[in-house]
Amino acid sequence: MRPVRFVSPLLAAVLLSAAMPARAEEAVAIPRFVEETASSGIDTVYEGEWEFMVGGGAAVFDCDGDRKADVLVAGGEGPAAFYRNASAVGGALRFERQQSGLEVSGVSGAYPLDIDGDGIQDVVLLRVGENLAMRGLGECRFERANEAWGFDGGDAWSTAFAALWERGWAFPTLAVGNYIDREQDAFPWGSCTDNWLHRPAGVVTRSFAPPLPLTPSYCALSILFTDWNRSGTPDLRVSNDREYYKGGQEQLWRVVPGQAPELYGPSDGWKPLRIWGMGIASHDLDLDGYPEYFLTSMADNKLQTLSDPGADGGPLPVFEDIAFSLGVTAHRPYIGETVKPSTAWHAQFEDVNNDGRADLFIGKGNVAKMPDFAADDPNNLLLQRADGTFLEAGDTAGIASTAIGRGGALADFNLDGRLDMLVVNRWSTAQVWRNAESGPGRWLQLELRQPGANRDAIGAWIEVRTGDRVQRREVTVGGGHASGQAGWRHVGLGEARSAEVRVLWPDGEAGDWQRLDADGFFIIERGRSAVAWSPG
Amino acid sequence: MKKTILALSCAVFSLSFAGGALAKDKTIGVSWSNFQEERWKTDEAAMKAAIEAAGDKYISADAQSSAAKQLTDVEALIAQGADALIILAQDASAIGPAVEKAVNEGIPVVGYDRLIENENAFYLTFDNKEVGRMQAREVFKVQPEGNYAFIKGSSSDPNADFLFSGQMEVLKEAMDSGKIKNVGEAYTDGWLPANAQKNMEQILTANNNEIDAVVASNDGTAGGVVAALTAQGLAGIPVSGQDGDHAALNRVALGTQTVSVWKDARELGRNAAEIASALAEGTEMSAIANAVKFTTPGGKEVDAVFLTPVPVTKDNLAAVVDAGWISKEALCQGVAAGSVAACN
Repeated sequence: MRPVRFVSPLLAAVLLSAAMPARAEEAVAIPRFVEETASSGIDTVYEGEWEFMVGGGAAVFDCDGDRKADVLVAGGEGPAAFYRNASAVGGALRFERQQSGLEVSGVSGAYPLDIDGDGIQDVVLLRVGENLAMRGLGECRFERANEAWGFDGGDAWSTAFAALWERGWAFPTLAVGNYIDREQDAFPWGSCTDNWLHRPAGVVTRSFAPPLPLTPSYCALSILFTDWNRSGTPDLRVSNDREYYKGGQEQLWRVVPGQAPELYGPSDGWKPLRIWGMGIASHDLDLDGYPEYFLTSMADNKLQTLSDPGADGGPLPVFEDIAFSLGVTAHRPYIGETVKPSTAWHAQFEDVNNDGRADLFIGKGNVAKMPDFAADDPNNLLLQRADGTFLEAGDTAGIASTAIGRGGALADFNLDGRLDMLVVNRWSTAQVWRNAESGPGRWLQLELRQPGANRDAIGAWIEVRTGDRVQRREVTVGGGHASGQAGWRHVGLGEARSAEVRVLWPDGEAGDWQRLDADGFFIIERGRSAVAWSPG
Repeated sequence: MKKTILALSCAVFSLSFAGGALAKDKTIGVSWSNFQEERWKTDEAAMKAAIEAAGDKYISADAQSSAAKQLTDVEALIAQGADALIILAQDASAIGPAVEKAVNEGIPVVGYDRLIENENAFYLTFDNKEVGRMQAREVFKVQPEGNYAFIKGSSSDPNADFLFSGQMEVLKEAMDSGKIKNVGEAYTDGWLPANAQKNMEQILTANNNEIDAVVASNDGTAGGVVAALTAQGLAGIPVSGQDGDHAALNRVALGTQTVSVWKDARELGRNAAEIASALAEGTEMSAIANAVKFTTPGGKEVDAVFLTPVPVTKDNLAAVVDAGWISKEALCQGVAAGSVAACN
């Protein structure tokens, strides 16, 4: 099932350079993004000094029932800002700022999820200070629910978030990543504080137990529950900032329901990797059923694929870095001054040109004024070619901002089938771009629903078959850099006029294959036929 | 050819094999971390000259700041027939697989300026502990007692601690006897001058400006220190630095900085070339002239050569002009006529 790559990196590089001339001529549809920040109504700066050098996220989700993605932008030292999406379908991006109850200061990041299963998205606000679980009340109003849900917000420098419903439990498990000890600003090195696992207080209890420390912790800046080996039980990947830990590395926690989490280690085949981990994006790029993981860092970024098929027990947690051979190291600016390396934060795989292949967005920006790293550091848009390698199109697609980027999102804000872009910036306003042209490719956007506590089917896999190709998306909450999304899951189809779609639900049950017409929105409710939905 | 080899600076070790075991027709592969950075051009010129003077061939690759590209660069240099490798690692924690591959093929590796955590890699750099000693020694010469402040480097850089331990070694006796008092020390996040200035301001405030000398770990931080001192009317008290930054050398001429410890990149390049040529000829790492055993922060024992830097003070400023490192105009800008010999 899994093609194990034992091609040496050198051979890969040779193959790559041999393939270069042909590839340069190969057509990749370059999308055209139009920056609409000024007219969009979005005007929020991620502000603050030392304690806000990381973070700077956004939550993108619908809270007024029109299925258009509304936006919450973290303000750092200033208050977070909520914007209702007022864009016309297919039209210019327009947002209206309104009071939501989420306008608190100290927010570094935000992730939407329906914690209490009432069909309304709630929001977890990561903060420098107490984290807040904000219950959605409908009509984009929110109220504090820390006490109601037994959620201990702590008083740390929180920088990462992930969530899932562990099998058999009626309430979600939340993982919070924490950074440097706030009291150690004079000597922060080696002062990483514990990450927390907030599990439900009981199988049917709709509140959280006191958080379990995930010791050791190494200054996490992104965490993600993901079923990396398709065991049916997602584990927790943690990406850590080596600038501040002592003796740390990247981590993978085995998270078995009802048991204390355990780190994978050398006896499992796990190999230490030390990077300035800032963001995690995952996607099954090679269509083998297992996700690849993109890890943002300083200079080189990493793209990991499983390299040991293991025996009967499934693959081992042994990852090989294929970033260089696929052209996604993105280690220095591609325009302007290119001498100094880049600093990367948010990352997300989405098909921005609807050609049926996931592309990669990376938000970039200097920590502050680090002299050994690029000051003008444009965001990346790497388009996947048919051979699996990537082409930098940040400048040709029109998104090469050199503002100091942090978090963000690719999302279809105006429901025209093309994914638009939001980037949160340190010390300058967040920016939005409308995807105005994405080539001739077609698309599907899907929303999952199931009965019970985990209504949005977090942990499910969506499979989309066109011909003999099956694209797969894991439905996750977490990762990126301080930025989360809920709502439509977008899949590009290329030339296909329809696709067969099925859902592998979080408990492992496979739904039926259903043929859906391209260029449409569908709500897939468990056990039922998909229902078309039209914006309007 | 031999003349070039033997014309090593007195500050640097001449190599014992130079007369007898000259490499011939060997290929020396050099893997640069980011050759676009201006400073490596000087190193390369010296390295290339020495390799060619020995009758060997210089080949190189530029990792362009990518640790992943550097792995393939090293493989490519091996494929091109390198008999020895000089590696300036982009990321010392990521270069391991390339070094292992070279070692497995019997190709010796010289870690250039940046430590490679592998017992099979030779390590060549300037002696950072000695830099620290020189900084403290020059400051102590002009200010043998009083309140000392220490502006250290970035805590995430192991060199910062080597420097500090060298400084402490020299000053220990005076500190133990109470002649010198450590009234404040601070790491400088990212080695940034602005952070050094902020730390210096805090130390001045905490001590009612009663500071008699500042041991700063490099010229950038010294610049921040001098700015803080100037704002309080204290410019002119002894301050150390390193790197031979043009602005710092000018401060030495002006009298606002006492010393800048200078590491001549040409010596580093030349020595790397000569060590690589010797290793390519089959010389054991431990048999390289002046090689010592060095225990890495990761606990591995490697063979290493530590070059001796030059403390540049008001008295020997002419050396940096004579070496072509800085023009007399840049060095002497704003310097009162007759106050510094090198500016006359």
